[in-house]
Amino acid sequence: MDIGYLDIVVAPWGSLRKCCVRRENFNYLSGKIDFRSRLLILTLIFFLIVPFLLSAQSFKPENPIQFKIKNAGITVDGLISDWEVMVDFDPKKLTQSSIRGKANPESIQTGIKLRDKHLHGREYFHIEKFPFISLESKSFRSKGKNAFIGIFELQIRGVKRELEIPFTLSQTGKQQMFKGEFTIDRLDYGLGEKSLVLSDEVRVVVEF
Amino acid sequence: MKIKEWLSRLPLWLYGCMLLPLLAFGLSKQVVSYFSFSDIPRIWTDEAMKDWELPNSNPEYSAQPVSEEFYYNLPERVIYKTYPVYHPDHEPEGYWEWLHELEAEIVLDESKLLTEEDYIKAGELLFDYPIDTLGAVISTKHVRNIDFYTATEMPLTPEGIMPFAQWVVAGKGKVYLGNLSCAMCHTRVMDDGSLLKGAQGNWPGDKAFAFALETDGASERAIQNITSFLFASPFAEGDPHGKLLATGKEAILEAYRAVPEGAFGRQGTSILFPPQAPNLIGVKDRKYLDHGGLGQHRNIEDMMRYISMNQALDFLNFYGDYNPIGLTKERLNSGEPIFFPGTYDRHSDAQLYALAKYIYSLSPPENPNKPSELSESGKIIFAEQGCVTCHTPPLFTNNKLTPTDGFEVPDAHYDKYDIFGISVGTDPGYTMKTRRGTGYYKVPSLLGLWYRGPFLHDASLANLEDLFDPARLKDDYVPTAFKPHDVKTKAVKGHEFGMELNEMDKKALIAYLLTL
Ligand code: HEC
Ligand code: HEC
Repeated sequence: MDIGYLDIVVAPWGSLRKCCVRRENFNYLSGKIDFRSRLLILTLIFFLIVPFLLSAQSFKPENPIQFKIKNAGITVDGLISDWEVMVDFDPKKLTQSSIRGKANPESIQTGIKLRDKHLHGREYFHIEKFPFISLESKSFRSKGKNAFIGIFELQIRGVKRELEIPFTLSQTGKQQMFKGEFTIDRLDYGLGEKSLVLSDEVRVVVEF
Repeated sequence: MKIKEWLSRLPLWLYGCMLLPLLAFGLSKQVVSYFSFSDIPRIWTDEAMKDWELPNSNPEYSAQPVSEEFYYNLPERVIYKTYPVYHPDHEPEGYWEWLHELEAEIVLDESKLLTEEDYIKAGELLFDYPIDTLGAVISTKHVRNIDFYTATEMPLTPEGIMPFAQWVVAGKGKVYLGNLSCAMCHTRVMDDGSLLKGAQGNWPGDKAFAFALETDGASERAIQNITSFLFASPFAEGDPHGKLLATGKEAILEAYRAVPEGAFGRQGTSILFPPQAPNLIGVKDRKYLDHGGLGQHRNIEDMMRYISMNQALDFLNFYGDYNPIGLTKERLNSGEPIFFPGTYDRHSDAQLYALAKYIYSLSPPENPNKPSELSESGKIIFAEQGCVTCHTPPLFTNNKLTPTDGFEVPDAHYDKYDIFGISVGTDPGYTMKTRRGTGYYKVPSLLGLWYRGPFLHDASLANLEDLFDPARLKDDYVPTAFKPHDVKTKAVKGHEFGMELNEMDKKALIAYLLTL
């Protein structure tokens, strides 16, 4: 039972605001440690961050992530609007391609404010503890012209699961448009609990 | 406080009354029960009592009940035959004299209870049996006074019976008015005059109590004392009950009068934040008891504990070092009986079992509101608006506790209790500032809305329409049912669901709610 109504989707890192918060904490800590450790930490961070910067650029897609879930026979449509993806995809070099996304569950909208707030809470996304959802490609295979199947690792609420996502690519010049649809079982990720009225399955549509 | 000092502070009328049970019954039957029925659980064990209740919203002041030893040393209640109380204008001729000719008749013999049906029948007797003849709420002179009925707008049956109290005949010529049967607060006189047992009661109890205090000429001191026994929670932030007492006699009486039919300032709650009298029909399926979910309800034993505690052993609880009737732990455990209504005896485990079986057996009357096109469209709105998530069919509750504004759910509660971690924003007073408060409000079942009201935990709204009326959120709103005695207007905040629907959709939603 529960408000559930919803669920999810894609991709890593919290919003910018979250990053700042984290950095602040870090500075506070580092003020208390000696110079050498500080240097070490800074170096570590450098190596952690730089690969990101070097690879494809991330961007914020225009379309929100959409999801649908049945609640008491009615389909509830929801959105997660704050998200970003990083794409390095070449249909001819599938093994070297990658797609990563991260979404901020705080931006969830289901049409009822209090419900959204409840979804932030620990029975659902528990955003205080898990500020982002991530989706990361593991491998791709082709499934006909402009159609692919990707194996992705989806992480929600600290639970990682692999899933297959069929998607299409339409390319105009340099512009790539991806569209994928998949279904998850919200209970696999600890999103709410078994309910008489809220279905377990959540249909997710991602377009960018 | 020393007991002597405490006794000396008691109002005289109460003090005098203390001797009555002895006069009425001689000494109660001692603990010997006729036989032991092996299925009857022993409910008040130290182990079970430890974590059956939720902690207080102010956890240091969580209730500490009396020990198993203390409990089982209390004598068991003897159940005499009772007789209806009539409005004086409707009393059959010679009834009063006839009552005085009768001998006491003991109507419940536990040794004869064998089948489930036997227990349910016995439970109904117990449901209607008053546990008090000391005048804990009202007494003979009030119910024989016509003004009592007009002052309280007392509901009556078509025969002129006032069904909330009973005459107890404890011996020839010993006719006492009995208070505090379950029927007092959990029986409803319906519009057509019929009685619905177990429904949200419509006994104007606090008005009746105010009438009794006033016409008895109780002193300010007496009124402050009894109000303190019932509701004081000096550990609550701002001590609202202490402040009420300080405002004096008239203001306190006004506070009693402000509590509407359908709500009652049960001990440990409040007349400032009075709890709605719950509907007992369907209680079997609820996982938490009281509006704050104070008592867990995992099995019949929990229900038996609830009944026993609330009739009225919670007066003996300690909240930190505080005891509501001024006992010290030494005095409590001294072995001397405590003559306070409901605390010098107890129901036997078999009686509690019968009571629980009876209230589990209550079923709703046939609903005259049949599904219609309008209600069917309301059903869809009910789903679309997300009501289903909390008021989940078929019970129309998800059986969860919602934290009130300002209450931080302790992490451990998520594992122990059923928490729906979001506040619906209703008035936090009851659950933050009373002895029974837990910091939560449970999600109530919407079954039987058609035969009850007023609504919300504090009975502040008389009609379902009011719940969806955005005007109620404004400070100039006049609550349609409970309104605190010291204000002219008050916003009824929170539970802002379905408020933006258009008029037609609201009608449909309400039509649907009335079919449940
Ligand atoms: C003087 C009035 C009064 C009497 C007498 C009384 N009750 Fe109640 N009862 C209440 C009120 C008021 C509440 C709500 C308390 C709260 O939420 O704080 C309540 C709550 C309950 C509940 C919890 C229901 C729920 O859904 O939360 C049960 C069960 C119950 N009473 C059973 C009984 C039984 C059985 C008896 C008789 C042995 C009885 N009561 C006697 C007034 C009374
Ligand atoms: C987030 C959970 C939640 C949702 C969603 C919700 N309710 Fe409630 N409802 C509650 C709680 C909690 C209470 C008790 C609040 C109180 O008394 O302080 C309540 C009380 C009520 C009551 C009063 C019941 C009584 O016995 O007094 C009605 C009627 C009601 N809700 C109908 C609805 C309808 C209709 C909707 C949808 C438009 C709805 N609720 C949506 C949690 C919810």
